[in-house]
Amino acid sequence: MMLLEHDAKELLRVRGLPVPEAILVRTADAPFAPLAAPVVVKAQVPVGGRGKAGGIAICQTDAEAREALARILTMSIKGHAVRACRLEAPVAHRAEAYLSFMVDAANANVRIMMSANGGVDIESQNTRPFSTSAEAEPAALRAAADALMKQLPETLREAVANATSPLVEAFIALEATLLEINPLFITAADAYVIGDCKLVLDDNAYERNAAFAGIMERQRDLYPEMAFKLENGFDYVELDPQGVIGLITTGAGLSMQLVDELTARGLKPFNFCDIRTGGFRGKPDRLIDILQRMAAGPNIRVALINFFAGSTDLAEIARLLLIALDRVPQFKAPMVARMIGNNYDAARAILAAAGDPVRVESDLDKAIALAIASASGVVS
Amino acid sequence: MRFLDPAVPVIVQGATGHVGQRHTLSMKGYGTKIVGGVSSRTDTEIDGVPLFRTCAEAVKATAAKTSVLFVPPLHTLAAMQEAMSAGISTLVTLAEGIPVHDALKARRMTCDAGVTWIGGSTPGLAIPGKMKLGFLPSISLAPGKLGVMAKSGTLSYEVCHRLVSRGFGQSIWVGVGGDSVKGMRFSDLFPAFNADAGTEAIVVIGEIGGSEEEELASTMREAEDSKPVYALIAGASAREGVVMGHAGAMIEGHVGTVESKARALRDAGAQVFHRIQDLVNAIAADHPH
Repeated sequence: MMLLEHDAKELLRVRGLPVPEAILVRTADAPFAPLAAPVVVKAQVPVGGRGKAGGIAICQTDAEAREALARILTMSIKGHAVRACRLEAPVAHRAEAYLSFMVDAANANVRIMMSANGGVDIESQNTRPFSTSAEAEPAALRAAADALMKQLPETLREAVANATSPLVEAFIALEATLLEINPLFITAADAYVIGDCKLVLDDNAYERNAAFAGIMERQRDLYPEMAFKLENGFDYVELDPQGVIGLITTGAGLSMQLVDELTARGLKPFNFCDIRTGGFRGKPDRLIDILQRMAAGPNIRVALINFFAGSTDLAEIARLLLIALDRVPQFKAPMVARMIGNNYDAARAILAAAGDPVRVESDLDKAIALAIASASGVVS
Repeated sequence: MRFLDPAVPVIVQGATGHVGQRHTLSMKGYGTKIVGGVSSRTDTEIDGVPLFRTCAEAVKATAAKTSVLFVPPLHTLAAMQEAMSAGISTLVTLAEGIPVHDALKARRMTCDAGVTWIGGSTPGLAIPGKMKLGFLPSISLAPGKLGVMAKSGTLSYEVCHRLVSRGFGQSIWVGVGGDSVKGMRFSDLFPAFNADAGTEAIVVIGEIGGSEEEELASTMREAEDSKPVYALIAGASAREGVVMGHAGAMIEGHVGTVESKARALRDAGAQVFHRIQDLVNAIAADHPH
């Protein structure tokens, strides 16, 4: 999970790294204390390009900051609603460097990148960052970073050298897959300060990562997808609150492909999910949860189920689906279920005996066509 | 590649768990040379498959060279280490959710030792009609001439099911898995698929995130001659910064997009599709029965 800048920086602060004084606010009327203008108001979304999108404002007075806060808190950046802003004290600096550590999946290494010229356009500037890679182990990473640093101007080396070791330790201890400091401020006194920070933690290590668990305890509301996964044991992403077709699907790849195929046909999916039928354990809870979410979608015209059951028992799924429909009467849109695999005939018989509340189809393209017809009001 | 040899004896680590047991017997029923299971339970066998307490005991008694691991993700690294110490040379880890830093260690460890690792987050691999390591569904498996490599289990089930219903089965099918750091990658598999006498064309099922498709493209360009490659890339409508179910499926900046992957593969001579049916139709048109 990509952390919001605020949480990433506070994790580094706890580890002893120098981070600008800041507070996190969720509402436009929240108090600024102990901060006072000038402040930088920064939208907290898990994507780059916030500045270009207007999500960062440097404010000289409290009034300016209030106004910026009110504006930014209503924004959505690259599809991510701004749920909070970080208000941060500006940092006086003489240089902006760049430093990052990233899992290099292709080589099973960690890639280290450095540049004397940090800033927003690091990816497109003519002077590409220097880069090297080393084993994901502190001593190897420190040695590789030390060697790489020799390519930086001498005036930056001491400050960058001081930053490297605690950042390497943070990368390993936090089981990060990306830790990018851009910019790394260098002050007149040759000290360094973390300017902006992108930190991606490994979801798979959540169970053994106390720092990660701490964030999900304190800031659950800011990470809706991860909170959902922790509570429900499956993946759910709301794609478009105005979407017309709700999806109840299993398998990450096939679910993603289905979203693509619907989008290509001009239909707006409400959500992505990988409901993991294999983890139902005889309970309709996941189906109930997702039906409730869809019932709250203002424009949902149809729900499309897609279960390709390699080993899951479809008859069991059909029974659970009937229970879920019964428990969520507020969901009234028509449903099309594409089911194929283990015990298909029994599943079909169970749904038929219940008066066919769901149109069943074993071919995916036919099911999509049925769903499109339902969504556009064409009765077939 | 030795891991594709159906004559190699196979053990299963985690053979007595709910899922492990079911699939151990199912693999054996499919014809896989399952010679033993490893479990901390004290039973001596499950339906004719002898059980052992440790990998070392199992390998000593059976001369197994391949292990299929039905072991929870946080315990997979340790189980891989145990298998390698016992002399296993091919590991198929099916767990979804192996921590990335564990996978980094596992990849280094297996590469250094010359051990083949397939996984994690994979349904496994199969030579249809001969052996199955993992749980690829029978409804999608049939002997044929397509070499299939896929990041996603379910998407490959769908694609292969449609191909099989049109009469196109598989010579080899390997799920490389949906994790970013993993064992064999598309580009590691390509030379074996390209050289395999029973394989006429290669089907690549990719998705957003990482650079595996781009790596495959450079391996294809380096090859003297390539069999026809048909690729499907899922995730065109994914948003940047959001994980789409698979741990590896996330767009970060300009890296990992469908456009980047499609361009690289097309430049290397592959046909790239965004709809399943278009890929199926193209294969059917190019390879008349």
